[in-house]
Amino acid sequence: MLRYGAVTNATEPAVAERLAVAGVELEIVRRGAGRPVLLLHGVQTVDPRARFLELLGRHAEIIAPSHPGFGRSARPAGFETVYDLVHFYLDVLEALPHEKVTLIGLSFGGWLAAEVAVKCCHRLDKLILVDAFGIKISDRETPDILDVFNTSPLEVQRRSWHDSGKWAPDFNALSDDELVVRARNWEALCLYGWHPYMYNPQLKRWLRRITVPTLVLWGASDGIVKPSYGRAYGDLIPDSRFEVIERAGHHPEIEQAEAFVDAVAKFLNR
Amino acid sequence: MDAWWQCEVPYPFVPQEVLNAADSVRASLPNKYCDPKIAADLFEEVIDEFLLCDDLGLNVLAVEHHAGINSLLGANPLLVGILARQTRQVRILSLGTLISIRKDPVRVAEEYATADVISRGRLEIGFVKSGGTEMASGNANPVNNVERYWEAIDLIKKALSQRDGPFSWEGKHFTHRHVNIWPRPWQHPHPRMWSATGDPETAAEVGRRGMVHVLVLRGPEGTRRAYAAHRKARAEAGLPKVTTDNFAYAAFVYVGDTDEEGVRVGSKLLWFLHTSLKSAPQYSKFLPGSAPPHAAPQIYRTAPSGGAAPVSLVNAEKGVASAGQNAARLTSLTAEQATAQGIFFAGNPDTVYKQVMEFYDKVGGFGHLSLVGRSGFMTHAESEKSIRLFSKEVLPRLREIKPVIAD
Repeated sequence: MLRYGAVTNATEPAVAERLAVAGVELEIVRRGAGRPVLLLHGVQTVDPRARFLELLGRHAEIIAPSHPGFGRSARPAGFETVYDLVHFYLDVLEALPHEKVTLIGLSFGGWLAAEVAVKCCHRLDKLILVDAFGIKISDRETPDILDVFNTSPLEVQRRSWHDSGKWAPDFNALSDDELVVRARNWEALCLYGWHPYMYNPQLKRWLRRITVPTLVLWGASDGIVKPSYGRAYGDLIPDSRFEVIERAGHHPEIEQAEAFVDAVAKFLNR
Repeated sequence: MDAWWQCEVPYPFVPQEVLNAADSVRASLPNKYCDPKIAADLFEEVIDEFLLCDDLGLNVLAVEHHAGINSLLGANPLLVGILARQTRQVRILSLGTLISIRKDPVRVAEEYATADVISRGRLEIGFVKSGGTEMASGNANPVNNVERYWEAIDLIKKALSQRDGPFSWEGKHFTHRHVNIWPRPWQHPHPRMWSATGDPETAAEVGRRGMVHVLVLRGPEGTRRAYAAHRKARAEAGLPKVTTDNFAYAAFVYVGDTDEEGVRVGSKLLWFLHTSLKSAPQYSKFLPGSAPPHAAPQIYRTAPSGGAAPVSLVNAEKGVASAGQNAARLTSLTAEQATAQGIFFAGNPDTVYKQVMEFYDKVGGFGHLSLVGRSGFMTHAESEKSIRLFSKEVLPRLREIKPVIAD
């Protein structure tokens, strides 16, 4: 079923594990110890070498699966909607041994996290949405979320980062394996998110069902989906607070790992 | 052999500096650069050329492309409807409404049935997989494009064939609970169907379905390979052998009085390659689903940003060559190279006949030649001259080539 082998490069600081949930073989990155955190990745899968994992691992046990179709996770035939992903993560929650977990969703994974929280708050203790997709805020002629598939790749990179010169990936410097993963991620994101583009028109109505304390965290320089969208998102979730991370774009966990983890840890320890 | 004349109605009158500055001449170039008065003149000329073909017994072919200088035929069914009424004798091939970007295949079936009736049974229905910039223009998910393609064909075919009242369709991509089109098509059970594709997987399915298989600007190797995949799939499925009538090839064709004139004027057709293929990377190399992920190292690392890139017609066969490599090969092609690659047949009538038959022999035979006969800055008069010469001097000889079992 899997087209690519698991990461087995022993020189890397952490290797991905594999786990079968509901018949789907998943790649999972695990780090740290402490309260359980289920981390749902965004446009790209979580790099096991990412600094924020190391930092957050000091506060929590991080469980970061690659969504079916992303990274090295299988995608069953016909599994191709956000509806599938959301129900799959309800299965994942049931499969975890913890009575409750903290759910963190980044970008596209933030959409999934919000959907899961609407359905299953009793298994969550807290929710953190980071530069999350998932709802429609502006009028019909104003897209909230940059159309990454119909925009020049250079412009997408420029708008993804506060400092794209420092953080935008150089494809010529990435390994074959990393490029294959990026291509899988890109294809899966398109399959799941093409229409309606990166949001569920009905979700906004149901965000009120999220009853756990929620942190909505946003990169101040996010040009993919702006902080004002994050603020509006937070306003729809009853027990939520909205915070901005300065000098960060769409990926504050990468661009400002310390500030990101500080904000998350502070919220977790409240 | 039969022949079909086509013109994509390109719009070459955009200042070169605008084209140079644009990252794509399709999908995103603002339509302020398209003067409707010039467009009206172009349509009038090209429709007159189609009618000239009708007078001369040369079949006609209407394509569809969206939002670019390469073609103003975003609304294929409209041209097909005009041709259905205005021509009187030749066959009309729609190649075709881009069904994987149309939301409702049943409506497409209605359009085709209507055109078939108006033309009193002269319609042929071609399907094109589409891709590239058409996905953006059509708001269509590129990842499952091929799935939609086949499901739409299935639904259109059933809608055209059904005679006994409403049927229900609850497919993966299309649902329509009450399908019952009026009028039904003139031809029974439905007009002959064609499919344009080069990749072996789709070619095999075209073979199993027994559709006319058309290759566009593919050159001898790719064309032979696709025809072979078509035949092999039929043999493996235990289906009877097909004749060369199942195979078609589309190339740039220009016939002049002399070889010099044929090549000189015909070279204007290469504008299509040199100028109209320019497509931004988000519509080509980074288009999700356009190549398998394992090809990413080759694709992601090659080609400069914003450079020339490919179009669906000449898209890389998946995993065989990168889209960028294909495009680079085509955008810089000379007339001589284009002829050597079997995508440009030009010269006096004898030369063009010889070039077509050389290609015929290289690919194991085909029953239909589609002439990309007007493109770029070619004038109406130049186009009509080639149509006349081809119809009078080349077509009768091609008609002598009878269908044979293709092995």
